[in-house]
Amino acid sequence: MQKEIDLDLITSYTLRTGVIISLFFILAGTVLLFVRNGGMNHTLSYLSDFNNSFNSHFIPLGGIPAGLASLDGIYYITTGLWVLIFTPISVVFISIIDFLKDKNRLYVLMSIIVLFNLFFAMLVIPRIT
Amino acid sequence: MSAILYIALKFLSIMAGGIAAGTIGSLTGLGGATVLVPLLTLFYSVPIIYATGASLVSTIATSAGSASAYTREKITNVKIGIGLEIATTAGAIVGSLTAVYINNNNFSYLIYIIFGIVLLGSLIPTVQRGKFEEPVPRKADWSTKLFQLAGSYYDKRLKKKVDYEGVRWWLAEIIMFFAGVISGLLGIGSGALKVLGMDWAMNLPMKVTTTTSNFMIGITAATGSSIYWYNGYIQVFLAAATALGVLIGSFIGAKILMKITNKNIRWIFFAILSFLGVEMLLRGFQKSSLLNISTAIEVALSAVFSVIMILGLYVHTMRGEKVDAKGN
Repeated sequence: MQKEIDLDLITSYTLRTGVIISLFFILAGTVLLFVRNGGMNHTLSYLSDFNNSFNSHFIPLGGIPAGLASLDGIYYITTGLWVLIFTPISVVFISIIDFLKDKNRLYVLMSIIVLFNLFFAMLVIPRIT
Repeated sequence: MSAILYIALKFLSIMAGGIAAGTIGSLTGLGGATVLVPLLTLFYSVPIIYATGASLVSTIATSAGSASAYTREKITNVKIGIGLEIATTAGAIVGSLTAVYINNNNFSYLIYIIFGIVLLGSLIPTVQRGKFEEPVPRKADWSTKLFQLAGSYYDKRLKKKVDYEGVRWWLAEIIMFFAGVISGLLGIGSGALKVLGMDWAMNLPMKVTTTTSNFMIGITAATGSSIYWYNGYIQVFLAAATALGVLIGSFIGAKILMKITNKNIRWIFFAILSFLGVEMLLRGFQKSSLLNISTAIEVALSAVFSVIMILGLYVHTMRGEKVDAKGN
């Protein structure tokens, strides 16, 4: 008999890995912000003031690779936060594999609807609002 | 140099708040944000939309961190969780867009008021639940079979395998939509509504309910977070501090949860939540200028109210236990 792959365990590892990677980027970003006294050409005191208007609106996600390469703390934190956002989403993908394996069509369909909602929020809504 | 030191202290103090919130959130299955949003707005003077944004992101950390432990223990029912996510993710989209609308139009006091109401409301299912570790079995209905709601888990403390069968999937799905709306609107995981959906509507055991809710919170919050991000409601410095804090807190909470009974959990968060709930409500009225009282009176009123609520619950529970003892 083929050995059963434990998807609960894979899910558990995926969640943990996602959290650890995100933790790493957020920590690194925070350290960089303090060491370099700011990021994205803003000073740390500006970035840490909640009454300033600096927020995610001014951080283009396309700038992540260049930002990471130039050791910009803001982009490290941004990467960490987006890894965090994608962590639970990856679990839905794993579940689809599980449901496909069990030929559980109803749940394959339901997982796809969940993913549709997620990507609707990420890709469609930013373009219409 | 002293400026940097000051900012470092600010970062660490927000992180400490996150640790406290994460621990409580994980213990209760409500998600750290329920404590974090009031903490940030009331004590750190963070604008509420940044507080909800940071909390939403941190909620994913709580959820993923502790869900990692629970799925390994095979308590979480991933299948039921994903089925119900259809409604929560749809709700989260509606809720986040509503939050964006409210904030763009300067009605943010509404978020305080709704937050207060939701917080206090989430205490009601808490009062009613918890007498039994396992639910009273209900007759399986059509949705039990169609949506494959039966399952089992091994209870470490009771030292036996617990079998269960979920019912009324459709009702849970309706409740989950509203859980999603609340999550997107207030930046919380809205675990209380998720627990209500699975504990009350579907009649699942408490352990399964809280852990599955924990698992679902991450997916719901991911939906809301991306909408918050694109609308500029994530403040990166703040989100970094709370995400780290809540993450650490959630690990502490998960470690404790495996060791204590359901009953102990209720007392801890009931006390804190009732205080924060009244505070948020009063602050909302304050901001809408319907009410004009000093902060000292606001805190005093909240404290008095939460003490009354806790005493009320204590008496209620003790009476319930006496009746049980006589009955047996």
